Amino acid sequence: MDAFTNFATGTVTLFSDPLGIALFFGGVIGGMLFGAIPGVSMLTLAAILLPFTAHLSAEHGIMLFSVIYCTGVYGGAITAILFNIPGAPENAPTAFDGYPMTLKGEAGKAVGAAVMCSAIGGTVSAILMMLATEPIAEWAISAFGPPEIFALVFFGLAVAASVGAKTLWKGWLSILAGLMIAVVGLDPVGGIERYDFEMPYLLAGIHFIPTILGFFAVSEIMVQAEKKATGAYKAPKISVDFPSFGELWAHKIAVLRSIIIGFFCGILPGIGATLAAFMGYNEAVRWSKERWEFGKGKLEGVISSETANNAATGAAMIPLLALGLPGGALTAMMVGVFQMHDMEPGPLVFINSADLVWVVFAAMFFANLSILFIGFLETKTIINLLRIPFQFLAPLILMLATVGAYAVRGLVIDVVVMFVAGVAGFFLRRTGYSVAGIVLGLILGKIGEQTFAQAMQMLHYEWTGYFSRPIGLSLLIAGLLTLGASAYRAFFAEPEPEGPPEDAKTT
Amino acid sequence: MGNLKTGHLVEAGLWLLLALVLFIFSFEFNKPIEIYKFGASGWPRAIILMIVLAALGQLAWHWKRGEGGATSKLNAAADDSVEAPEDHSSLNWYAHTFAMVAIPFIYLRVPDFLGGMMGLPPDGLGTIKLLTAFPLMALFGWMAYRNQVGGMLALPIFFGALLEDMGFYALAPVFAMCVMYLMGERRIGWMAGVAAGVFGILLFMFVKLLYVGLPTGNIHPFYDFGTWIVTILQ
Repeated sequence: MDAFTNFATGTVTLFSDPLGIALFFGGVIGGMLFGAIPGVSMLTLAAILLPFTAHLSAEHGIMLFSVIYCTGVYGGAITAILFNIPGAPENAPTAFDGYPMTLKGEAGKAVGAAVMCSAIGGTVSAILMMLATEPIAEWAISAFGPPEIFALVFFGLAVAASVGAKTLWKGWLSILAGLMIAVVGLDPVGGIERYDFEMPYLLAGIHFIPTILGFFAVSEIMVQAEKKATGAYKAPKISVDFPSFGELWAHKIAVLRSIIIGFFCGILPGIGATLAAFMGYNEAVRWSKERWEFGKGKLEGVISSETANNAATGAAMIPLLALGLPGGALTAMMVGVFQMHDMEPGPLVFINSADLVWVVFAAMFFANLSILFIGFLETKTIINLLRIPFQFLAPLILMLATVGAYAVRGLVIDVVVMFVAGVAGFFLRRTGYSVAGIVLGLILGKIGEQTFAQAMQMLHYEWTGYFSRPIGLSLLIAGLLTLGASAYRAFFAEPEPEGPPEDAKTT
Repeated sequence: MGNLKTGHLVEAGLWLLLALVLFIFSFEFNKPIEIYKFGASGWPRAIILMIVLAALGQLAWHWKRGEGGATSKLNAAADDSVEAPEDHSSLNWYAHTFAMVAIPFIYLRVPDFLGGMMGLPPDGLGTIKLLTAFPLMALFGWMAYRNQVGGMLALPIFFGALLEDMGFYALAPVFAMCVMYLMGERRIGWMAGVAAGVFGILLFMFVKLLYVGLPTGNIHPFYDFGTWIVTILQ
């Protein structure tokens, strides 16, 4: 059977079963809602629902999680834009320009662009996923081993160091701080305790969900509290003017570029949508003729980030289903759903459970399409949250964040970690460090160390082994060049102006 | 000294001190792993070395450029930093604020330490915790009244520190009202109404609908109050 026939069969199976339909729409709305409520995220919903999937069939359970994944990644953009609180790490770059747009009174435009681009990125990714899962899985199996994944992590971190902080040095220090936080807990090779200070909690490492909530949600509330106390607070302006077709069409190249970046980053296990979003944003800045406008409320920043992270959702299913390797927290929970039904994701799923695979593919395709329709309706209502005075919204966000941090593992200490991260984020942002960089370092640190150890063992501790692995070598060289160029620029080049050059002003 | 300021030296000193502390602690797990040449400490020590290099690089950069601006358009583009207001960047303000942030950690450590010294059973430890919590709360309130922004920074950590013992159900409404007060709200009716509304929404959504188990606390009467609410809702 070809892909189209399989897709048609999957669609019919999905929509001919009342429970399947209910779960599909429940997942679509739940993912969007939890993604869009400040303080909680799609991961909170997924963590809450995980035990209940034991009562569902494997098909329904996996389908529900894949739908939540698609719509939750979009939903996280709403809080990133409206409150500078990314619903998930992959929405962090969306806040860079989305939140300044809200402050300028262009929230509707930013959210509208996020709706459109999430739907486009996700739908194209779902189509590509259906057409290319098998050939790409075969290629990825042979071409991407631990040395390549480590090289990609290295390249991603080298690129990300240049985003979010006041200077490159602060960008690097932010990422290194994140990498160091990721070291806490058991080492990935020998299981030896590191920096646990004899606290059992720290053995499991510092979870990234409380850290993200702290660095973004809590620190933002503290920043706003200080502004209120000093009289510098400005209420965000409300608007529901969505971007025109012409405005979106003008960014077609950015959309296309982000789809490609998002899809290829999403394929890689363990990295997924977060790196996709950062790289999508970074490339948009790099290729733009108006780079100085990024970070001040440029529509292209939101478009690039949101297209890339949703384009990664379809691609992230490829390593999960083809190799059994999760690309992030939510896909890791999907592995849990498989295991609850005595199944292991991997190449055999395509043979033993082809029906399941195609129902999931169809569900993801329609979930991305539904973002377009339900997303616009939801946005019109959610944007009104901005009308609530911030002193009333703040306790709600803080308490939701408390529930979100606690629900991940049922540990109160996660709540304390979140609030400590909030205070740290407050002071780090004052001194020009990048909280997004710390979070990226924390997320990529574990997989970076693990793949480095595996790569060194595979290459017999000889870096020259990379010469026989062209993809890994290219990524390492690209990372080194990025680091070298930024170090050169940091020391020898004149600081670049933050405004437009004179010739740009006159044209 | 080039363009260096005291702040630059302090910043570099803090990073180097952090690196030194982390390096010293790395000896605790500097154990060989049979299948991996670099052992458990190889990766963290490489990061520590890079932290030292980046901190020194930043110091050299400040020496050459002073405060300077963004080193690239990419940095300028996504700089999410915030400016500190003048009256909130004095040494006094920092000392006062960090003293407030330390209060929750005193609560997390002191009762256990005292209980251990006195060899108290769990029930007795609860009493020690209560006896420690209330004076600390009073001290916190007094300090927060004088420094509201510092209070806003430390309050959530204090809430988190008390959560295990006093539970979400008893603390959340009080916490919500304190947040509103520290953010400048003074209308008692509004504060009580919003706190009740927020608390009600959370209980309905998470406890009633989704059966999420929130911390009930483990000290009487907070534990009894928490379990009473859960019993009513579920």
